[in-house]
Amino acid sequence: MRKGETLGVVGETGCGKSTLGKAILGILPVGTQVEGKILFRGRDLTMLTNQMYRRLRGEEIALIFQDPMTRLNPLMTVQDHFIEEIQAHEPVSSTEARTRAREALISMGIHEARIRNYPHEFSGGMRQRIMIALALVLKPSLLIADEPTTSLDVIVEAQILEILQDLKQAYSMSLLLITHNLGIVAEVCDRVAVLYAGKLVELGSVRDIFHKPLHPYTQGLLSSIIHLETKELHSIEGSPPDLIAPPSGCRFHPRCSFAQSICMEKVPPLVEFEPGHFAACHFGDKFL
Amino acid sequence: MSAPVVAVQGEPANELLRLDNLKVHFPVKLPFIQRLLQREEAVVHAVDGVSFGIRAGEILGLVGESGCGKSTVGRSCVRLIKPTSGRIFFAGQNITKLGGENLRALRRRIQIIFQDPHASLTPAMTIGRGIGHPLWIHRSAFGPQKSGSEAFGQWVRQRVLNTMREVGLTPEEQLYDKFPGDLSGGQKQRAVIARALILEPNLLVVDEGVSMLDMSIRAKVLELMLDLKRRHGLTYLFITHDLATAKFICDRIAIMYMGRIVEIGPAREIYADPKHPYTKALLQVIPIPDPDKRKEKVLPRGEVPDAVHPPAGCRFHPRCPAVLATCGWEGRDFVDFLDEHLSDPKRAGDDESIVGPIEGWHADGLVASLEAKPMSVEKAVERVETILAEAPVAMTQAIESVSAQKRTVMVRFHPPNQLRQTQVQDRLVECLLYQ
Repeated sequence: MRKGETLGVVGETGCGKSTLGKAILGILPVGTQVEGKILFRGRDLTMLTNQMYRRLRGEEIALIFQDPMTRLNPLMTVQDHFIEEIQAHEPVSSTEARTRAREALISMGIHEARIRNYPHEFSGGMRQRIMIALALVLKPSLLIADEPTTSLDVIVEAQILEILQDLKQAYSMSLLLITHNLGIVAEVCDRVAVLYAGKLVELGSVRDIFHKPLHPYTQGLLSSIIHLETKELHSIEGSPPDLIAPPSGCRFHPRCSFAQSICMEKVPPLVEFEPGHFAACHFGDKFL
Repeated sequence: MSAPVVAVQGEPANELLRLDNLKVHFPVKLPFIQRLLQREEAVVHAVDGVSFGIRAGEILGLVGESGCGKSTVGRSCVRLIKPTSGRIFFAGQNITKLGGENLRALRRRIQIIFQDPHASLTPAMTIGRGIGHPLWIHRSAFGPQKSGSEAFGQWVRQRVLNTMREVGLTPEEQLYDKFPGDLSGGQKQRAVIARALILEPNLLVVDEGVSMLDMSIRAKVLELMLDLKRRHGLTYLFITHDLATAKFICDRIAIMYMGRIVEIGPAREIYADPKHPYTKALLQVIPIPDPDKRKEKVLPRGEVPDAVHPPAGCRFHPRCPAVLATCGWEGRDFVDFLDEHLSDPKRAGDDESIVGPIEGWHADGLVASLEAKPMSVEKAVERVETILAEAPVAMTQAIESVSAQKRTVMVRFHPPNQLRQTQVQDRLVECLLYQ
């Protein structure tokens, strides 16, 4: 991921997209086996101690969850959330923290007088704006947004996406947007990563992915979107595999109409088929 | 607050379902003391005067955001909710107050499918038993000779297997003894559809029936619904927040906002040329899956207001991008505007010290007043007028007067125009722009 870019991570339920976000922040359940490296500004995050990770979370990488209601503590006022977070990272007075909390709220269009309110006193859209303000108050350089608008109404969803776009520019921050909604990806992302059954199957610029998808799964996913111009319904046969015993070779092969015997035997490597456009398909060049 | 007038329509003969000025108000639970102090009973105006008909064999889409009352309308049609007032007709019969055996008989003809297939299936019942369950509940309707006998059990099993095959839940013999937890989301929703179909109903209410399914399987389930409609001549009330899905499947569309239908008509025409500003807004926010077609959007302000105290006049007016001076501006709109103004220190300057803290302002109907006794009432009136220069033009035009009475600053609005459903081409629109 580059500095200042918006990378969309798309895939269906259970493809591992949320796990990916949690892995970056080191908040997977205790005992989860993690292999490989997560390089953030040259540092391997998997090597961090718990204490180092605590510093990093919020300060350098922040996360917004899907459901703003369950992520704010119902027994804490909005200002308590801010004070707790700021003081966990910086040795500042409560007054100073409160001032910064006020500024953060105002930047989200929420009246500063409401800083003493509890989460239930806000609407869904406002709560998500508070979550965003909380995530950004320490000015992180990477924001991970996990389905940030899924529980919101369509108009509020558009409002929140607009806010995220503006903030990204204002803070020159990078945004990792995890979503199942390809329409949103087309509207806000620079690059897209497509996940299927725990594997990265395609990665490229938003134009590459939407105009020249190389992986049959990406193609199927794109054609199954129902939008205003949809004339005919398409879907992908079958359903996503059981990840306890995933299919051999390419995990998509049981649902793929182009599958050959090699697809059942060999795991396709992620290949750069054209500059910046990667796909994990044995026959990716067929679709170039 | 004046209640919008409902247009009276003729009743086409082939209508399967008709709602006539349906209202459903849910009481708000308040602590005892507050209940005593409350002047009038607080109710959520979930559905507030909805009228429409569904012709036999048609798919009517009921579209709106969460909390607009669309699910309440759906549940009222199945009589899961008792309407506060208004009437519901099914095949010409008034079913509003049906009870007992008559209601049970009605349920054989109207079935409902909910959003979450997992929550809709009893986890302890096998798929086969779950799908066949309605037949057991309604067994008296299938002939006394069958009821209770072993032959009836055999007949139910055969009918369940046939229905499973019909909805694509195959191999049906194997899936019959599985539990809901063993099935994928798409399969579960097929099981729910099979259970709804087993009684061979005439009308299916589908409440967000595909919203929880992944994109790659959503299309299949929609196709199944269209297919079943063709084969059985089913009629659907298709409730959704997704205008794109509704466009594909529906013959007619009704757009709902805060308990009212703001626009209803043939789907093709509404999508080609939406009339109500709310319909326009909804259509505009549907993402286009093409990065080359990104465009700036003019979004309605804020969020859906509280349905306990819906806005006066047109309920969309506080958020409407095309709002007029006559749409229903009232005291609290001014207080909201002032709140927004004061929350930005750059714009507000010393305004707060002159027009008082926002908590001092009270709205009562058409009037907003400051009872906090500012230092100088004249100065406050003057400043309110200055601040109003920044307000939406329609709102300033709607203001009758800004005045000082004794030591109270008052902002008074003109009463709104009466809102009526108006025929615009082939549809009905509830908007002053077309009146």
